[in-house]
Amino acid sequence: MTLDMTGDITIWTLDWVPMTKGPAGFVRDLQLRWACEEAGLPYSIRTVPMGQPDLSRQPFGQVPYMEAGGLCLFESGACLLHLAETSEALMPGDPRARADTLQWVIAALNSIEMVSVPWWFLDVTVAKENGLTGWLDARLAHLERVLGDREWLAADRFTVADIAMADVLRIPKLRAFGDRPATEAYVARATDRPAFETAHSDQMAHFARADVARRAASA
Amino acid sequence: MDTNDGTGRPTALPTLTAFASSPDRGMGLARDMRVRWALEEVGQPYDVRLVTFAELKAPAHLALQPFGQIPTYEDGEVALFESGAIVLHIAERHHGLLPADDVSRARAISWIFAALNTVEPPIVERDEVTFFEAGKSWQAERYAMVDERIRARLDQLAAAFGGSRWLIGTFSAADILMVHAIRRLEGSGILEDYPALTDYIARAADRPAYRRAFQAQLDVFERATSA
Repeated sequence: MTLDMTGDITIWTLDWVPMTKGPAGFVRDLQLRWACEEAGLPYSIRTVPMGQPDLSRQPFGQVPYMEAGGLCLFESGACLLHLAETSEALMPGDPRARADTLQWVIAALNSIEMVSVPWWFLDVTVAKENGLTGWLDARLAHLERVLGDREWLAADRFTVADIAMADVLRIPKLRAFGDRPATEAYVARATDRPAFETAHSDQMAHFARADVARRAASA
Repeated sequence: MDTNDGTGRPTALPTLTAFASSPDRGMGLARDMRVRWALEEVGQPYDVRLVTFAELKAPAHLALQPFGQIPTYEDGEVALFESGAIVLHIAERHHGLLPADDVSRARAISWIFAALNTVEPPIVERDEVTFFEAGKSWQAERYAMVDERIRARLDQLAAAFGGSRWLIGTFSAADILMVHAIRRLEGSGILEDYPALTDYIARAADRPAYRRAFQAQLDVFERATSA
Protein backbone atom coordinates (compact mmCIF):
# COMPACT_ATOMS: atom_id res chain seq x y z
CA MET A 1 0.00 0.00 0.00
CA THR A 2 1.29 3.43 -0.80
CA LEU A 3 0.06 6.45 1.00
CA ASP A 4 -1.01 9.25 -1.27
CA MET A 5 0.97 12.04 0.32
CA THR A 6 0.50 14.64 -2.39
CA GLY A 7 -3.15 14.44 -3.50
CA ASP A 8 -4.83 17.83 -3.64
CA ILE A 9 -1.88 20.10 -2.96
CA THR A 10 -2.98 23.57 -1.93
CA ILE A 11 -0.39 26.32 -1.52
CA TRP A 12 -1.50 29.33 0.52
CA THR A 13 -0.06 32.74 -0.22
CA LEU A 14 -1.04 36.39 0.21
CA ASP A 15 -4.04 37.84 -1.60
CA TRP A 16 -2.09 40.93 -2.63
CA VAL A 17 1.35 42.54 -2.42
CA PRO A 18 2.54 45.81 -4.04
CA MET A 19 3.59 45.21 -7.65
CA THR A 20 6.34 47.84 -7.63
CA LYS A 21 9.05 48.14 -5.00
CA GLY A 22 7.42 45.21 -3.25
CA PRO A 23 8.04 41.49 -2.93
CA ALA A 24 6.14 40.40 -6.07
CA GLY A 25 8.31 37.69 -7.66
CA PHE A 26 9.97 36.95 -4.31
CA VAL A 27 7.07 35.81 -2.11
CA ARG A 28 8.07 32.41 -0.79
CA ASP A 29 5.18 30.49 -2.26
CA LEU A 30 7.47 30.63 -5.28
CA GLN A 31 9.67 27.87 -3.80
CA LEU A 32 6.68 25.55 -3.48
CA ARG A 33 5.36 26.40 -6.95
CA TRP A 34 8.84 25.75 -8.33
CA ALA A 35 9.09 22.37 -6.56
CA CYS A 36 5.66 21.32 -7.83
CA GLU A 37 6.60 22.36 -11.36
CA GLU A 38 9.87 20.40 -11.22
CA ALA A 39 8.03 17.31 -9.98
CA GLY A 40 5.00 17.68 -12.23
CA LEU A 41 2.69 17.79 -9.21
CA PRO A 42 -0.60 19.63 -9.79
CA TYR A 43 -1.49 22.22 -7.17
CA SER A 44 -3.93 24.99 -6.50
CA ILE A 45 -3.36 28.39 -4.92
CA ARG A 46 -5.49 29.89 -2.16
CA THR A 47 -4.98 33.20 -0.45
CA VAL A 48 -5.01 34.76 2.97
CA PRO A 49 -5.66 38.52 3.27
CA MET A 50 -2.54 40.63 3.69
CA GLY A 51 -2.33 41.80 7.31
CA GLN A 52 -4.97 39.32 8.53
CA PRO A 53 -3.05 36.11 9.10
CA ASP A 54 -4.70 32.86 10.17
CA LEU A 55 -2.56 31.95 13.18
CA SER A 56 -4.29 28.60 13.58
CA ARG A 57 -2.66 27.50 10.31
CA GLN A 58 0.59 29.47 10.54
CA PRO A 59 1.57 30.44 14.11
CA PHE A 60 3.87 33.24 12.91
CA GLY A 61 1.43 34.76 10.42
CA GLN A 62 3.66 33.98 7.44
CA VAL A 63 3.13 32.50 4.02
CA PRO A 64 3.37 30.03 2.47
CA TYR A 65 1.68 27.16 4.15
CA MET A 66 0.42 24.06 2.44
CA GLU A 67 -2.16 21.30 2.54
CA ALA A 68 -1.28 18.01 0.90
CA GLY A 69 -3.13 14.71 1.12
CA GLY A 70 -4.93 15.74 4.30
CA LEU A 71 -1.80 17.06 6.02
CA CYS A 72 -1.13 20.68 6.97
CA LEU A 73 2.43 22.01 6.86
CA PHE A 74 3.92 25.44 7.44
CA GLU A 75 7.44 26.85 6.91
CA SER A 76 8.65 26.76 3.31
CA GLY A 77 11.48 24.38 4.27
CA ALA A 78 9.07 21.85 5.79
CA CYS A 79 6.76 22.11 2.77
CA LEU A 80 9.68 21.65 0.37
CA LEU A 81 10.92 18.61 2.24
CA HIS A 82 7.44 17.08 2.22
CA LEU A 83 7.12 17.59 -1.54
CA ALA A 84 10.62 16.18 -2.02
CA GLU A 85 9.70 13.02 -0.14
CA THR A 86 7.01 12.34 -2.71
CA SER A 87 9.10 12.84 -5.83
CA GLU A 88 12.46 11.52 -7.02
CA ALA A 89 12.65 14.60 -9.24
CA LEU A 90 13.29 16.63 -6.07
CA MET A 91 15.27 14.25 -3.86
CA PRO A 92 16.89 10.88 -4.56
CA GLY A 93 15.73 7.94 -2.45
CA ASP A 94 19.26 6.63 -1.76
CA PRO A 95 20.04 7.33 1.93
CA ARG A 96 23.36 9.11 1.32
CA ALA A 97 22.02 11.28 -1.46
CA ARG A 98 18.94 12.05 0.63
CA ALA A 99 21.08 13.09 3.62
CA ASP A 100 23.21 15.25 1.32
CA THR A 101 20.07 16.96 0.00
CA LEU A 102 18.66 17.49 3.49
CA GLN A 103 21.83 19.13 4.82
CA TRP A 104 21.92 21.57 1.92
CA VAL A 105 18.25 22.52 2.28
CA ILE A 106 18.95 23.37 5.90
CA ALA A 107 22.24 25.11 5.05
CA ALA A 108 20.29 27.45 2.76
CA LEU A 109 17.89 28.31 5.57
CA ASN A 110 20.06 28.19 8.68
CA SER A 111 23.58 29.09 7.45
CA ILE A 112 23.08 31.40 4.46
CA GLU A 113 19.67 32.98 4.94
CA MET A 114 20.34 33.33 8.66
CA VAL A 115 22.98 35.87 7.61
CA SER A 116 21.71 37.25 4.32
CA VAL A 117 18.28 38.36 5.51
CA PRO A 118 19.51 40.46 8.48
CA TRP A 119 22.23 41.90 6.23
CA TRP A 120 19.66 42.79 3.56
CA PHE A 121 17.25 44.21 6.13
CA LEU A 122 19.93 46.39 7.66
CA ASP A 123 21.05 47.55 4.24
CA VAL A 124 17.58 48.70 3.17
CA THR A 125 16.54 50.25 6.48
CA VAL A 126 19.65 51.90 7.90
CA ALA A 127 22.07 54.14 6.05
CA LYS A 128 24.93 53.57 8.50
CA GLU A 129 27.79 51.14 8.08
CA ASN A 130 26.45 47.57 7.76
CA GLY A 131 28.11 45.66 10.60
CA LEU A 132 27.01 42.31 9.17
CA THR A 133 28.99 42.61 5.93
CA GLY A 134 32.01 40.65 7.17
CA TRP A 135 29.81 37.85 8.46
CA LEU A 136 27.92 37.62 5.16
CA ASP A 137 31.11 37.83 3.12
CA ALA A 138 32.64 34.87 4.97
CA ARG A 139 29.59 32.64 4.47
CA LEU A 140 29.28 33.51 0.79
CA ALA A 141 32.99 32.93 0.21
CA HIS A 142 32.65 29.39 1.56
CA LEU A 143 29.68 28.80 -0.71
CA GLU A 144 31.56 30.19 -3.71
CA ARG A 145 34.33 27.66 -3.09
CA VAL A 146 31.77 24.83 -2.98
CA LEU A 147 30.02 25.99 -6.15
CA GLY A 148 33.33 26.33 -7.96
CA ASP A 149 33.56 22.58 -8.47
CA ARG A 150 29.97 21.41 -8.82
CA GLU A 151 26.94 22.16 -10.92
CA TRP A 152 24.33 21.52 -8.19
CA LEU A 153 24.71 21.42 -4.42
CA ALA A 154 23.77 17.87 -3.49
CA ALA A 155 23.83 14.34 -4.85
CA ASP A 156 25.51 15.32 -8.17
CA ARG A 157 22.18 16.48 -9.62
CA PHE A 158 19.47 19.13 -9.29
CA THR A 159 17.52 18.68 -6.04
CA VAL A 160 15.15 20.55 -3.79
CA ALA A 161 18.25 21.95 -2.05
CA ASP A 162 18.92 24.02 -5.16
CA ILE A 163 15.41 25.46 -4.98
CA ALA A 164 15.98 26.56 -1.39
CA MET A 165 19.50 27.87 -1.99
CA ALA A 166 18.95 29.57 -5.35
CA ASP A 167 15.87 31.33 -4.00
CA VAL A 168 17.92 32.69 -1.09
CA LEU A 169 20.77 33.77 -3.39
CA ARG A 170 18.77 35.38 -6.21
CA ILE A 171 17.89 38.51 -4.17
CA PRO A 172 19.25 41.37 -6.36
CA LYS A 173 21.14 43.10 -3.54
CA LEU A 174 22.90 39.85 -2.72
CA ARG A 175 23.80 39.15 -6.36
CA ALA A 176 25.22 42.66 -6.66
CA PHE A 177 27.31 42.32 -3.49
CA GLY A 178 30.91 41.17 -4.07
CA ASP A 179 32.25 39.17 -7.00
CA ARG A 180 31.43 35.46 -6.92
CA PRO A 181 31.36 34.11 -10.48
CA ALA A 182 30.57 30.48 -9.55
CA THR A 183 27.65 31.57 -7.39
CA GLU A 184 26.35 33.92 -10.05
CA ALA A 185 26.52 31.15 -12.67
CA TYR A 186 24.71 28.82 -10.28
CA VAL A 187 21.88 31.29 -9.69
CA ALA A 188 21.58 31.86 -13.44
CA ARG A 189 21.54 28.08 -14.07
CA ALA A 190 18.81 27.53 -11.49
CA THR A 191 16.60 30.41 -12.55
CA ASP A 192 16.94 29.46 -16.24
CA ARG A 193 15.10 26.22 -15.54
CA PRO A 194 11.66 26.08 -17.17
CA ALA A 195 10.09 25.10 -13.83
CA PHE A 196 11.44 28.26 -12.19
CA GLU A 197 10.28 30.40 -15.10
CA THR A 198 6.76 28.95 -14.91
CA ALA A 199 6.61 29.35 -11.13
CA HIS A 200 7.87 32.91 -11.32
CA SER A 201 5.56 34.03 -14.12
CA ASP A 202 2.59 32.36 -12.39
CA GLN A 203 3.34 34.23 -9.16
CA MET A 204 3.71 37.52 -11.04
CA ALA A 205 0.40 36.90 -12.86
CA HIS A 206 -1.30 36.08 -9.55
CA PHE A 207 -0.24 39.36 -7.96
CA ALA A 208 -0.87 41.36 -11.14
CA ARG A 209 -4.48 40.10 -11.23
CA ALA A 210 -4.86 40.88 -7.55
CA ASP A 211 -3.54 44.39 -8.13
CA VAL A 212 -5.94 45.05 -11.01
CA ALA A 213 -8.86 43.81 -8.91
CA ARG A 214 -7.82 45.96 -5.98
CA ARG A 215 -7.54 49.07 -8.16
CA ALA A 216 -10.94 48.37 -9.74
CA ALA A 217 -12.52 47.94 -6.29
CA SER A 218 -11.10 51.22 -5.00
CA ALA A 219 -11.89 53.20 -8.19
CA MET B 1 22.55 -0.06 23.35
CA ASP B 2 23.51 -2.92 21.08
CA THR B 3 25.84 -1.70 18.40
CA ASN B 4 26.60 -5.12 17.04
CA ASP B 5 25.85 -5.49 13.33
CA GLY B 6 25.37 -9.26 13.46
CA THR B 7 28.88 -10.08 12.24
CA GLY B 8 30.24 -10.39 15.76
CA ARG B 9 32.25 -7.21 15.35
CA PRO B 10 31.12 -4.07 17.11
CA THR B 11 30.00 -1.42 14.63
CA ALA B 12 31.44 2.04 14.80
CA LEU B 13 29.49 4.55 16.85
CA PRO B 14 28.24 7.74 15.25
CA THR B 15 30.88 10.44 15.61
CA LEU B 16 30.22 14.13 16.18
CA THR B 17 32.58 17.02 16.06
CA ALA B 18 32.53 19.66 18.80
CA PHE B 19 34.71 22.59 19.85
CA ALA B 20 37.90 21.57 21.64
CA SER B 21 37.38 24.73 23.68
CA SER B 22 33.86 26.07 23.32
CA PRO B 23 33.48 29.85 23.19
CA ASP B 24 30.33 29.54 25.34
CA ARG B 25 32.45 28.24 28.24
CA GLY B 26 30.37 25.09 28.70
CA MET B 27 26.96 26.76 28.74
CA GLY B 28 25.62 24.22 26.24
CA LEU B 29 24.91 26.87 23.61
CA ALA B 30 27.19 25.44 20.92
CA ARG B 31 25.25 23.39 18.41
CA ASP B 32 26.80 20.04 19.28
CA MET B 33 24.44 20.24 22.30
CA ARG B 34 21.42 19.70 20.01
CA VAL B 35 22.90 16.58 18.51
CA ARG B 36 24.11 15.18 21.85
CA TRP B 37 20.63 15.77 23.30
CA ALA B 38 18.89 14.05 20.36
CA LEU B 39 21.22 11.05 20.61
CA GLU B 40 20.64 10.83 24.37
CA GLU B 41 16.86 10.97 23.88
CA VAL B 42 16.95 7.96 21.54
CA GLY B 43 19.56 6.08 23.60
CA GLN B 44 22.22 6.02 20.89
CA PRO B 45 25.81 6.09 22.22
CA TYR B 46 28.22 8.26 20.24
CA ASP B 47 31.83 9.34 19.97
CA VAL B 48 33.02 12.93 19.86
CA ARG B 49 36.01 14.28 17.98
CA LEU B 50 37.13 17.65 19.30
CA VAL B 51 38.40 20.23 16.84
CA THR B 52 40.44 23.35 17.47
CA PHE B 53 39.67 26.70 15.82
CA ALA B 54 42.62 26.15 13.45
CA GLU B 55 41.32 22.70 12.48
CA LEU B 56 37.85 24.13 11.79
CA LYS B 57 39.25 26.16 8.90
CA ALA B 58 41.58 23.42 7.57
CA PRO B 59 40.77 21.45 4.41
CA ALA B 60 40.02 18.15 6.19
CA HIS B 61 37.22 19.73 8.23
CA LEU B 62 35.99 21.95 5.40
CA ALA B 63 35.45 18.79 3.35
CA LEU B 64 32.95 17.68 6.01
CA GLN B 65 31.58 21.12 6.94
CA PRO B 66 31.87 23.68 4.12
CA PHE B 67 31.31 26.67 6.42
CA GLY B 68 33.99 25.66 8.92
CA GLN B 69 31.56 25.10 11.78
CA ILE B 70 30.62 22.38 14.24
CA PRO B 71 28.91 19.96 14.56
CA THR B 72 29.33 17.31 11.92
CA TYR B 73 27.94 13.81 12.17
CA GLU B 74 29.21 10.60 10.64
CA ASP B 75 27.81 7.12 11.03
CA GLY B 76 28.44 4.01 8.97
CA GLU B 77 25.97 5.23 6.37
CA VAL B 78 26.01 9.01 6.04
CA ALA B 79 28.08 12.11 6.74
CA LEU B 80 26.12 15.23 7.59
CA PHE B 81 26.58 18.84 8.56
CA GLU B 82 23.97 21.37 9.79
CA SER B 83 22.70 20.59 13.27
CA GLY B 84 19.08 20.81 12.09
CA ALA B 85 19.69 18.21 9.40
CA ILE B 86 21.54 15.96 11.85
CA VAL B 87 18.75 16.11 14.44
CA LEU B 88 16.13 15.40 11.78
CA HIS B 89 18.22 12.49 10.47
CA ILE B 90 18.50 11.00 13.97
CA ALA B 91 14.75 11.51 14.52
CA GLU B 92 13.97 9.65 11.31
CA ARG B 93 16.27 6.73 12.14
CA HIS B 94 15.10 6.13 15.73
CA HIS B 95 11.87 6.03 17.69
CA GLY B 96 10.93 8.79 20.07
CA LEU B 97 11.61 12.12 18.37
CA LEU B 98 8.93 12.17 15.67
CA PRO B 99 5.34 10.99 16.06
CA ALA B 100 4.26 7.95 14.05
CA ASP B 101 1.03 9.42 12.70
CA ASP B 102 1.38 11.53 9.58
CA VAL B 103 -0.67 14.50 10.79
CA SER B 104 1.41 15.03 13.95
CA ARG B 105 4.62 14.28 12.11
CA ALA B 106 3.88 17.02 9.57
CA ARG B 107 3.33 19.44 12.46
CA ALA B 108 6.59 18.40 14.12
CA ILE B 109 8.55 18.92 10.90
CA SER B 110 6.89 22.32 10.41
CA TRP B 111 8.01 23.29 13.91
CA ILE B 112 11.56 22.04 13.27
CA PHE B 113 11.81 24.50 10.38
CA ALA B 114 10.09 27.25 12.40
CA ALA B 115 12.84 26.91 15.01
CA LEU B 116 15.60 27.02 12.37
CA ASN B 117 14.28 29.63 9.98
CA THR B 118 11.82 31.84 11.90
CA VAL B 119 12.68 31.91 15.60
CA GLU B 120 16.45 31.38 15.62
CA PRO B 121 17.55 34.00 13.02
CA PRO B 122 16.74 37.18 14.96
CA ILE B 123 18.18 35.61 18.13
CA VAL B 124 21.48 34.85 16.38
CA GLU B 125 21.43 38.32 14.85
CA ARG B 126 21.28 39.75 18.37
CA ASP B 127 24.57 37.99 19.15
CA GLU B 128 26.06 39.48 15.99
CA VAL B 129 25.07 42.96 17.18
CA THR B 130 26.91 42.16 20.42
CA PHE B 131 30.07 40.93 18.64
CA PHE B 132 30.31 43.06 15.51
CA GLU B 133 28.78 46.34 16.62
CA ALA B 134 30.42 46.64 20.02
CA GLY B 135 31.50 50.21 20.62
CA LYS B 136 29.50 51.62 17.70
CA SER B 137 27.37 54.67 18.45
CA TRP B 138 24.31 52.93 16.99
CA GLN B 139 24.60 49.64 18.90
CA ALA B 140 21.73 50.56 21.26
CA GLU B 141 19.52 51.48 18.33
CA ARG B 142 20.33 48.13 16.66
CA TYR B 143 19.50 46.21 19.84
CA ALA B 144 16.14 47.98 19.93
CA MET B 145 15.42 46.95 16.32
CA VAL B 146 16.37 43.34 16.71
CA ASP B 147 14.76 42.96 20.14
CA GLU B 148 11.46 44.15 18.71
CA ARG B 149 11.61 41.40 16.10
CA ILE B 150 12.62 38.80 18.70
CA ARG B 151 9.72 39.80 20.95
CA ALA B 152 7.25 39.58 18.08
CA ARG B 153 8.38 35.98 17.48
CA LEU B 154 8.33 35.07 21.18
CA ASP B 155 4.79 36.50 21.53
CA GLN B 156 3.66 34.23 18.70
CA LEU B 157 5.60 31.25 20.02
CA ALA B 158 4.17 31.62 23.53
CA ALA B 159 0.65 31.98 22.08
CA ALA B 160 1.10 28.83 19.98
CA PHE B 161 1.63 26.66 23.07
CA GLY B 162 -1.94 27.21 24.24
CA GLY B 163 -1.26 25.33 27.48
CA SER B 164 0.66 22.40 25.91
CA ARG B 165 3.84 21.15 27.48
CA TRP B 166 5.58 20.68 24.14
CA LEU B 167 5.19 22.21 20.68
CA ILE B 168 3.04 19.44 19.22
CA GLY B 169 1.70 18.19 22.56
CA THR B 170 4.24 15.39 23.01
CA PHE B 171 8.02 15.89 23.13
CA SER B 172 9.67 15.84 19.69
CA ALA B 173 12.81 16.85 17.80
CA ALA B 174 11.18 20.26 17.29
CA ASP B 175 11.48 20.92 21.03
CA ILE B 176 15.21 20.17 20.96
CA LEU B 177 15.80 22.77 18.26
CA MET B 178 13.38 25.35 19.67
CA VAL B 179 14.59 25.14 23.27
CA HIS B 180 18.18 25.36 22.14
CA ALA B 181 17.46 28.38 19.94
CA ILE B 182 15.68 30.39 22.65
CA ARG B 183 18.20 29.45 25.35
CA ARG B 184 20.59 31.82 23.55
CA LEU B 185 18.49 34.66 24.97
CA GLU B 186 19.43 33.75 28.55
CA GLY B 187 21.07 36.79 30.07
CA SER B 188 19.45 39.23 27.62
CA GLY B 189 16.61 40.10 30.03
CA ILE B 190 14.04 39.25 27.34
CA LEU B 191 13.01 35.73 28.32
CA GLU B 192 11.93 36.88 31.78
CA ASP B 193 8.89 38.51 30.15
CA TYR B 194 7.77 35.11 28.86
CA PRO B 195 7.10 32.79 31.81
CA ALA B 196 5.53 30.20 29.47
CA LEU B 197 8.86 30.00 27.65
CA THR B 198 11.10 29.96 30.73
CA ASP B 199 8.90 27.13 32.07
CA TYR B 200 9.30 25.36 28.73
CA ILE B 201 13.10 25.64 28.92
CA ALA B 202 13.07 24.42 32.54
CA ARG B 203 10.90 21.44 31.58
CA ALA B 204 13.33 20.55 28.80
CA ALA B 205 16.42 21.01 30.97
CA ASP B 206 14.91 18.63 33.50
CA ARG B 207 14.83 15.74 31.05
CA PRO B 208 17.46 13.11 31.84
CA ALA B 209 18.66 13.12 28.22
CA TYR B 210 19.18 16.88 28.32
CA ARG B 211 21.11 16.62 31.58
CA ARG B 212 23.41 13.90 30.25
CA ALA B 213 24.07 15.88 27.07
CA PHE B 214 24.68 19.07 29.00
CA GLN B 215 27.08 17.35 31.40
CA ALA B 216 29.01 15.74 28.53
CA GLN B 217 29.68 19.08 26.82
CA LEU B 218 30.49 20.73 30.14
CA ASP B 219 33.02 17.98 30.90
CA VAL B 220 34.78 18.76 27.61
CA PHE B 221 35.04 22.42 28.52
CA GLU B 222 36.22 21.74 32.07
CA ARG B 223 38.87 19.28 30.92
CA ALA B 224 40.09 21.81 28.35
CA THR B 225 40.39 24.58 30.90
CA SER B 226 42.07 22.43 33.58
CA ALA B 227 44.58 21.00 31.09
